Amino acid sequence: MMTSFLRRQGSWMIIGLVATLAVMAVVFSLASPYFFTPENFLVIGQTIAIEGLISIGETVIMIAGGLDLSIAAVAAVTGMLGATLILRGASGIEATLGALGAAAILGTVNSVVIVKFRINPIIATLGSLLLFRGLAEVAAAGNNVVIGTDTWAFLGRGYFVGLPIPVLIYLAALILAYFFLSYTVIGNYIYAVGGNHEACRNVGIKVDRLRFGLYILTAVFSGIAGLILMSQSGTAEPMALNGAELDILAAVLLGGIGLTGGRGSVIGTFFGTLVMGTVSDGLIMVGVPLYWSEVARGFILIFAVTLDSFRRGGGYR
Amino acid sequence: MKPILSVKDVSRAFGHVQALKNVDLDVFPGQTLGLLGDNGAGKSTLIKVISGVCIPDEGKFTCRGQEVRIEDPSQAQGLGIATIYQELSLVDTRPVAHNIWLGREPRRWGIFIDLHKMERDAKEILGRLGITLPSVSVDVEVLSGGQRQAVAIARAISQGGDILLMDEPWASLGVEQRVLVQRMMKDLKGLGKAIVLVTHDLSNILEITDKIAVLRQGKLAAYADSKSTSIQEIIGWITGALAGTIPEKGV
Repeated sequence: MMTSFLRRQGSWMIIGLVATLAVMAVVFSLASPYFFTPENFLVIGQTIAIEGLISIGETVIMIAGGLDLSIAAVAAVTGMLGATLILRGASGIEATLGALGAAAILGTVNSVVIVKFRINPIIATLGSLLLFRGLAEVAAAGNNVVIGTDTWAFLGRGYFVGLPIPVLIYLAALILAYFFLSYTVIGNYIYAVGGNHEACRNVGIKVDRLRFGLYILTAVFSGIAGLILMSQSGTAEPMALNGAELDILAAVLLGGIGLTGGRGSVIGTFFGTLVMGTVSDGLIMVGVPLYWSEVARGFILIFAVTLDSFRRGGGYR
Repeated sequence: MKPILSVKDVSRAFGHVQALKNVDLDVFPGQTLGLLGDNGAGKSTLIKVISGVCIPDEGKFTCRGQEVRIEDPSQAQGLGIATIYQELSLVDTRPVAHNIWLGREPRRWGIFIDLHKMERDAKEILGRLGITLPSVSVDVEVLSGGQRQAVAIARAISQGGDILLMDEPWASLGVEQRVLVQRMMKDLKGLGKAIVLVTHDLSNILEITDKIAVLRQGKLAAYADSKSTSIQEIIGWITGALAGTIPEKGV
């Protein structure tokens, strides 16, 4: 019974990730006096909050047996639109609602292509990744949209009870997502659809409607992250979070969510995201050139995919 | 005895392929009907039509004497029709209790699963059917083939199913597990359930069924009492070597 529970939560993976984090903390602390400091932990928190928020949506869609590679591009478009709306005089709430509405529309594009036209989600969202990035560049003719750090700063740069607002939003979303997936009927259907969508269809669960909604939800999570990022830097960039979808995919896979769906939890993804964030931060702290960080992250992605394959009893034969 | 479910003149085509053509079928309470036929004869399509997964192009259903519509799985479930598919009925990565209640989860405040009630009722149903499992909170993937089929049957019973459609229920089972499922089928028949059994396996079909219906190229080729036929005759109906007897329409 306990074994089943642990397997569902991906807890064996989590134990491995915590051990990895401990080893990294020791190594980076020995190599740099700046790593094991409260200030650096806040930096790591601020960094992983953005990708962490996106990874919550990605976790949900992957548990349901889907995949979305356009997540980072959606975040960039949302940030661009939010910044543009603010520059045109919209209030914070208007800009937020407008930008998140746009994110939902982008999610709907993915839903229609994947759920209605039955296109493989990898191919479909690779296409929409390019499409959305392109749109973000076209919208501002390739330029950044600067709103400055004084405008609408609370979301990205504010603090509450000593913790950065993005971190608090991320943790709140994480807890909500955990309870939603674990204790609600829809959460149960998300796991069930990822495990066997035909069985779900046969008992009358509206599988397509569920997946349609989840691609929109994933885009909205990306949108929230995009707005926070824009608020953090005071600038919206069309190429913001470029390539982050692969870091997020690695974090989700490391956290125990399989490419075939049906299992895992957002808690696993949290630790996966923490590992990815700590690697990037630690390598910078110890003075490793930035391109080596990319090598390390690429290695982790391959490792995570291989791990998932072996977890499913596959692997190279 | 009156049939609990009657299918009249059901036809269904997939593009140019006529999967079912004017099929009639009566299912009686407390009896097992063996639905036989070669690959592509239309058995699975007929099961999908009766279970609401597939809507027929033409045809009528009568359930407990009333003409009814079956246009989706929940309508079929509402009529007491429960389907146990060969491979597709369980979610391996979910616990036993979640599988038994899949699609009909007991709820709290409308949106939350009542896990306590779900597990308690699952235990009660399994106990009633004499099914022994390690726990209702283990994932189905750790169970044996026979135990998995037992969970699928428990789900069908928990739906209040009086008409059980079983599609190749022992296709992937060993001998012992097959005996377990056949014992359960006998018990269910004793409880007055009507069973429609789809199978390729003719080895002891005459002992476990009361009636035999043979489909061939989408049409009903024969409908007979199991006691008054033989395996050779059934093979003849399946292959088309023999012409079968079919009750007249409307009977």
